[in-house]
Amino acid sequence: MATRSQTAAVLLAGALTLAACGSGGTSSQAPAGGGGGRTLVIDTSFDLKTADPGRTYEPTGLVVDKAVYETLLTFDGSDVTKPVPSLAESYELSEDGKTLTLKLKQGATFADGAPVTADDVVFSLTRVRDMKGTPSFLLDGVEVAKTDDTTITLTSKAANPALPYILPNPALGIINSKLAQQHGATTDPQDKAEQWLNSTGAGSGPYTIESFNVSSQVTLKANPKYHGTKPAYDKVVLRNVEAATQKLNVQRGDSQIALNLSGDQVNGMPATLQVKKTASANVLFLLANQDTGVSKVTSNPKFVEAVRKGVDYAGLLELAGEGAAQAPGVIPSQLLGALPAEQAAKRDVEGAKAALAASGLANPSVKLEYPSELTVNGLPFQPFAERIQANLKEVGITVDLQPAPVTTALDNYRNGKEEMGLWYWGPDYPDPSDYLAFLPGKTVGLRAGWKAGAAKEIEAAGEKAATAVGDEARKAAYADLQTKLNASGPFVTLVQPSQNIVTAASVTGLEYHPVWTVDIADLGVK
Amino acid sequence: MKQQVSGRRVPPLARFLVRRVLLAVLMAWGITLVTFVLTNLVPGDPVAANLGQRALGDPAIVAQWRAEHGLDKPLWQQYLLHLQGLLHGDLGVSQQSHRPVSADLAEFVPATLELAGAAILVSLVLGVAFGVVAALRRDRLADHALRLLSLIGISVPTFWLALVAFYVFFYRLQLTPGSGRVDVALGSAPPVTGLQTVDALIAGRWDIFVSAAGHLVTPALVLALYTIGLLTRFTRSAVLEVLGQDYVRAARAKGLPGRTVLFRYVLRSALVPIITVAGLAFGSLLSGTVLVEAIFAWPGIGQYAYKSATSLDLPAVMGVGLVVGIVYLVINLVVDVLYGVIDPRVRLQ
Repeated sequence: MATRSQTAAVLLAGALTLAACGSGGTSSQAPAGGGGGRTLVIDTSFDLKTADPGRTYEPTGLVVDKAVYETLLTFDGSDVTKPVPSLAESYELSEDGKTLTLKLKQGATFADGAPVTADDVVFSLTRVRDMKGTPSFLLDGVEVAKTDDTTITLTSKAANPALPYILPNPALGIINSKLAQQHGATTDPQDKAEQWLNSTGAGSGPYTIESFNVSSQVTLKANPKYHGTKPAYDKVVLRNVEAATQKLNVQRGDSQIALNLSGDQVNGMPATLQVKKTASANVLFLLANQDTGVSKVTSNPKFVEAVRKGVDYAGLLELAGEGAAQAPGVIPSQLLGALPAEQAAKRDVEGAKAALAASGLANPSVKLEYPSELTVNGLPFQPFAERIQANLKEVGITVDLQPAPVTTALDNYRNGKEEMGLWYWGPDYPDPSDYLAFLPGKTVGLRAGWKAGAAKEIEAAGEKAATAVGDEARKAAYADLQTKLNASGPFVTLVQPSQNIVTAASVTGLEYHPVWTVDIADLGVK
Repeated sequence: MKQQVSGRRVPPLARFLVRRVLLAVLMAWGITLVTFVLTNLVPGDPVAANLGQRALGDPAIVAQWRAEHGLDKPLWQQYLLHLQGLLHGDLGVSQQSHRPVSADLAEFVPATLELAGAAILVSLVLGVAFGVVAALRRDRLADHALRLLSLIGISVPTFWLALVAFYVFFYRLQLTPGSGRVDVALGSAPPVTGLQTVDALIAGRWDIFVSAAGHLVTPALVLALYTIGLLTRFTRSAVLEVLGQDYVRAARAKGLPGRTVLFRYVLRSALVPIITVAGLAFGSLLSGTVLVEAIFAWPGIGQYAYKSATSLDLPAVMGVGLVVGIVYLVINLVVDVLYGVIDPRVRLQ
């Protein structure tokens, strides 16, 4: 017996040594980054397809492109109410709102040292528009022309007062046109430059791309030829990490920034970390289909009124967690034209019951569809749907919950087949005109079965808002439009969930931005 | 044994190998068919999932996109084109990364293989050792303890274990490094094999090797625990069975040293069931990596598969299905061949 046990003991010892050998190496691990190495590690749940500015539309892609490319105009910090110069030193919108003239700044260079010229601007913007990538619509109907070597004019057929708010979108970043053309860039759908752009980046921004992988990691390095203020970090690594792991990483110092934590997850963070809670620009809303072919119930205006009065907004806000805000209208609080918080809807169960009685519907039952696995700012849709179900039950409406994977749910939503839907809208660009999509006959309006001509008064208010020029006039017009939408439209706006960003104590200058989430070049080291 | 018909004598092992390989090729074709059909049965429109909202409103763009991705043709033609591409080593172009699927896979598959390979290595060593110890110490304390351990290993859900292990070893005890394959500050070794540890050694970067090996430990152990449990149980019962055989008793009675008896007689006979279990376990390790990769932010095929599936990136989904299927096939082939090598009786069956 002795020999047998000896043998076994040898085997076991060998196995354990092997295991121990592996873990032995790890004790020498120093936390990555920190002040000394000047490497910044950002953990985020990737929503990324490309780094080609002409095709970028996903949140992670915008973070990357904001660092790699410069746009004609930009925003200062988190203030999206006023576009400021970037590659353009000044801009002027004509009185009819149709022509935007931009003066190009001198001395800007691309990462290879070539100067940024008016030709690069014309090529880049024309490429985005005509390549028909996801962000092409940003420049729908906009003609780009070079007047002279330092002047660009953008001409729109109809008044386009939103254009200065659209131009800061990183999708409209200016690329090195000569270099890009050598690698297959064209200004039509035949463009073949995407892979090359993903591997290097051809911008004039503070960073260039060192490596790029859509499902795991993106590494940026400081652009040595950058003409502006040198960024604080030499190297920035964006990693695709699940929210639960993000939390542990940032707490242990394995990363310096966690972008996607929910309100619950940031509770009880140690004092050594900074937690930034801001209402995001995403607006959660309910839609009630107006197409009688889809539903006799939800197309009844009194039914929509009953829902609007029946929802417990305070309860939903509690679910959304600290930092969230109720959405008084479709336009989020950060943008010009947002309704003041006092105008937000309040729960009125008696009023809701009265509206339901007036609708003539007895014990109505409706299907509520929503994406089952999608989260918005770390919040899943399910608890919201359940809460709404409970709220409306008190009013006398039976809600049948119909969650589906997002790819399936989107089909019904986009085709306007949902009886009721629970979705969110994030701004394509920080201008209220983006919310004209909620009008009858427009993108979101059609999803609610709301055809053009279905609500003349609201459409007229939309027309007025679209063509208003000047901040004051636009503010008033969009407020009026939202008030009318709230009174009789098919949408019930709920909450703006909180965007929670956690950073190490060493990171300074972080601002949440509704378009590009974070401007990496703005970050400093303490 | 007098069954050769033609004049030429084909050794049984060679005949056995040829038969197995032909069968594997047939199965590979089956896999392409099944992955293609299943992928195309998924509800949801890949066009809607991949084109922007405004582009979707333009029928010309939608038509062009469909044509570009071959979605305008009838399904059987799409399959033939897919098969034709496969024969030329072309897995199509991923709709999300716009790169050839084969290039994407070449990046992600080695990461998963490194993880699953480390896990199987650990489980073979520990599982067999534990099984032998448990059998030799039958019904004593060590046996009970190891059987309990194997029960835990088999019953605990891998993703839960991954979360707990990450929390305990990385966050609480600060023993292991965090997410990913290697410390980001070090960068990675120039890719040769795609296996981070091997590439680091090739490049002579000891620091990267240490970091990569360290990053492997927790996820590999987490993945291995189930297989360790399984192998402990199978090895234990196989060894016990062999220990009761007459020839083992005879060998011992002849006065052969215990070590010789154990290695030459007992373990060799117990090897067949052990290999079977290890082969099957390797397959389940591959699927187990999906969740473990998510938790440890391991840039492997699991994350790629998840992302492809949720964005209805059909060529990528088919590519993943094919690779996983073929890995299973190869493992089964290797297991079968090993049987043949270990036990000559198998070659004739």
